Amino acid sequence: MMSTHPKHPIGLTVNGETHDVLVEPRRTLADVLREEVGLTGTKLGCEHGVCGACTVLLDGSAVRACLVFAVQAEGAEIATVEGLAEEGTLDHVQQAFTDNHGLQCGFCTAGMVMTTHAMLAENPDPTDDEIRVGLNGNLCRCTGYTNIVRSVSAAAASAKAAQPGARAS
Amino acid sequence: MTETLPAPTAAPAAGNGLAAEHLRIRTDKWIGKRTKRVEDPRFLTGNARYVADLVRPRMLHAVYVRSPHPHARIVSVDTSVLPGLGTSVWVFTGKDLADVPPLIDHVALDHLLRTPQNVIAVDKVRFVGDAVAVVVAADRYAAEDAAEELGAAVEYEVLPPIPNVTAANAPGAALLFEDLGTNEIYRQTERHGDSDAAFAAADHVFEIAFHHNRYGAAPMETRGVLADYERHDKQLTVWSSTQMPHFLRSIIAGQLGLPEHRVRVIAPEVGGGFGQKMCTSPEEIVIPFIAVALGRPVKWIEDRHEHLLAATQAKEEHITLEVAVTNEGKLLAVRGEFVGDGGGYSFNTESALIEPALAAKSFPGPYRLDAYDETVAASLTNKSPVAAYRGVGWTAANTVREIVVDEIARGLGIDPVEIRHRNMLHADELPYRSITEQLYDSGSYHESLDLAIETVDYAAFRARQAELREQGRYLGLGISSYVEQTAWGSDSSAQAGTPLPSHDNSTVTVDPSGTVTVAVSTSCHGQGHETAYAQIAADGLGVGIGDVKVIYGDTESAPYGLGTYASRSAVIGGATVARAAADVREQILKVAANMLEANPEDLTIDDSVISVTGAPGVSKTMAEVAYAAYWDSEVRSDEPLLTATRFYDPPATYANGCVVVLCEVDAGTGSVTLDRIVAIEDCGTVINPMIVEAQVHGAITQGVGGALFEQFVYGDDGQPQTTTYMDYLVPTSTDIPPIEVLSLCSPSPFSIGGIKGMGEGGQIAAPAAVANAVADALAPFGAKVRELPLAPDYVLRLIGAIGADES
Repeated sequence: MMSTHPKHPIGLTVNGETHDVLVEPRRTLADVLREEVGLTGTKLGCEHGVCGACTVLLDGSAVRACLVFAVQAEGAEIATVEGLAEEGTLDHVQQAFTDNHGLQCGFCTAGMVMTTHAMLAENPDPTDDEIRVGLNGNLCRCTGYTNIVRSVSAAAASAKAAQPGARAS
Repeated sequence: MTETLPAPTAAPAAGNGLAAEHLRIRTDKWIGKRTKRVEDPRFLTGNARYVADLVRPRMLHAVYVRSPHPHARIVSVDTSVLPGLGTSVWVFTGKDLADVPPLIDHVALDHLLRTPQNVIAVDKVRFVGDAVAVVVAADRYAAEDAAEELGAAVEYEVLPPIPNVTAANAPGAALLFEDLGTNEIYRQTERHGDSDAAFAAADHVFEIAFHHNRYGAAPMETRGVLADYERHDKQLTVWSSTQMPHFLRSIIAGQLGLPEHRVRVIAPEVGGGFGQKMCTSPEEIVIPFIAVALGRPVKWIEDRHEHLLAATQAKEEHITLEVAVTNEGKLLAVRGEFVGDGGGYSFNTESALIEPALAAKSFPGPYRLDAYDETVAASLTNKSPVAAYRGVGWTAANTVREIVVDEIARGLGIDPVEIRHRNMLHADELPYRSITEQLYDSGSYHESLDLAIETVDYAAFRARQAELREQGRYLGLGISSYVEQTAWGSDSSAQAGTPLPSHDNSTVTVDPSGTVTVAVSTSCHGQGHETAYAQIAADGLGVGIGDVKVIYGDTESAPYGLGTYASRSAVIGGATVARAAADVREQILKVAANMLEANPEDLTIDDSVISVTGAPGVSKTMAEVAYAAYWDSEVRSDEPLLTATRFYDPPATYANGCVVVLCEVDAGTGSVTLDRIVAIEDCGTVINPMIVEAQVHGAITQGVGGALFEQFVYGDDGQPQTTTYMDYLVPTSTDIPPIEVLSLCSPSPFSIGGIKGMGEGGQIAAPAAVANAVADALAPFGAKVRELPLAPDYVLRLIGAIGADES
């Protein structure tokens, strides 16, 4: 069938790397990240903006990649879960999630981790209630959230401890 | 050599007895430890590959055309509307797959009528979402466009919808399967003991008619299948988000007429299953069929809307009970009717009886009954089929039983804790054969209840509840005790009321360098098997878990078995790994004995060093021994490969526990806030407490979802009204309070290692705990919970603030 949706060339910056892709305007950022760019760590759980599994950072803000068209992301800095660990070492949020058993099947995990980064950037020292409010746009079907809240709290604590001048405790 | 079972961790149930010698496993260092999960890094870095992440050269994308009508005849599908048909777009209808045998249940029960399900509907559709055609194109977006066009080109003859069980059994009702002559596919009564005498002797009879809501697994990853057929090798490879890869291989081979050794099924990472991905989805037959027909890889990834329409749903039952009791609140007898609303097909694997039969058999739970009449029935309705979801049948039974126990207590002026103690089995009465012939192996029913009640400080709660009630605030406490049938094998399935055969194996192999590969037939989808089985193998062989790799999910590398469902993996996988590891340990010790010129019985293994007991200097490393075992003809055995495969079909084991929920109900808005959840879990020998507690967290949250939010709603016209996550409400982080889990340990005297299954108890118990908490809070209004979920409108009806018409 002939496409009635002509493609546009766009440049995307993902985890600091640039990618030139040719996409239909209707194509979502999530699909382009997963298929054209090949970064499948970003998951699709509902494709209507409720579950949060596809959360990525767009210029530092958490967005649902299923609700953004790729053409809208041109020129922005996009961060996905693949960009966090360096040389095989988990970053402090990832480490906190494994230390506190904050994941089971792993399907919501990328979204949870990216949301945590955005949350802690805004509020580096959240209470448990603030963490729950910050996470309530990300669904998890396995953990009951108890260990995810612990993970986020531990990530905040480890970021604080790592700050210059922080006292070792 | 020391071989011990773990000691009970707290308040041990008396009289359980330790496992017999032949059931013991090594638990030297790793079993029982809070070992962090070895599988986590790939999930945390985005490197875990689920089926949607997989790509094959020349891969096509499939999109379904599904029925918009609950009940209709398919008159025609006009594929000519699609430009590029046969060159860039391909269509498959039921007629194209007419030679594929329909899917059918395997339950060996008399009187159960069968409802063969074509993998794509041929003449009739029986629910909104029933498959009518599949469109295939090179791009998902193009396939969606074509499916939309084709969907408008299907002509139907609409038939009267059957939206519920009452309509299904009304005189003159339209029939889903005309040849059966009825929509009711099963109705049988079993009597245990003399209920007539018990009811005649009763001081009181309590009654309840309860509608358990239809809700479902809704895993974060929807269903998905990728199939690739290599024509020259005649080799089919199927990647599916399944809990049962080997079973699926057998089914696909049978359905498509392929030799089984030419079918390979791979379960890649699976993003949650919760029972839903154990049954064979028709799509798991259709997509491989298309891949074979086209000779190209074909991928189908269900979207969420499609999932909420077409994937199996669960738990809907109508349960009516009469309960005969004494003035003291002693339960004498129950007459119960359990009616399943099965949906459009009595689904493959376990039939529409999966809910009502399992509910009826498990109903007695932790309580003694002198007599029990159980009527089990199931009807077809024009809704998505009902199949497995965590706590199948057991959830509904536990919900209605624990609600009625509270109502009896309230009616007779007995405390809800006290009435449970008066009726519960004591640990020293176990093993105990329940009135439905379920053999409870061991347990801590009273102890679990007491520990939960102590933990929430019951007396202080009652004082605060009374104080706040004066101020017009309504606090409630709900108790839900449970017995959880686990270890699903031949015995467990027979005791559950739906007999099915079972077969599972694990292979443990020590490599020439001394590292260990464990291949298991269970199939993980979030439960941490790579860690838990590594702990078992590490203890079995005397190595560290860093030296163990666990593999599963690929029928070409894992031994045959039935996968993971019904809380079977810890018991079956754990036992087969322990046994195989014990066999390989003996093989290693024989070679080491040759090398060290000692008797195998005099050798110990610790941290991968094999030494003579009492002479630690006389030793070899595991790597040295393994190398010699493979390569050194002087010391190796006649069958030098260091490997063993062991089988286990376990006896049923029964975990138990108690969930207590504290809530506050806003009488003005009808909203329910959960303040605290305490869970006591007793699953015998624990392999990894961290994983066990997290399973409880997740299961309870799903149960709370069913109690407060989740329901697949269908209109009287049979149309589904909850087809997005804006309508089908899954609990979020702000809906759930922190969940506290405490453990007791009553090892099974029957299973290898004393291990019991677990993971469903939270789902089984939580709905009743929530319902009882709300009923307790609303006791001043005389509230009696008769349906779930306890959404605000229903809570306001219970209070009397609004009438039935207003919700």
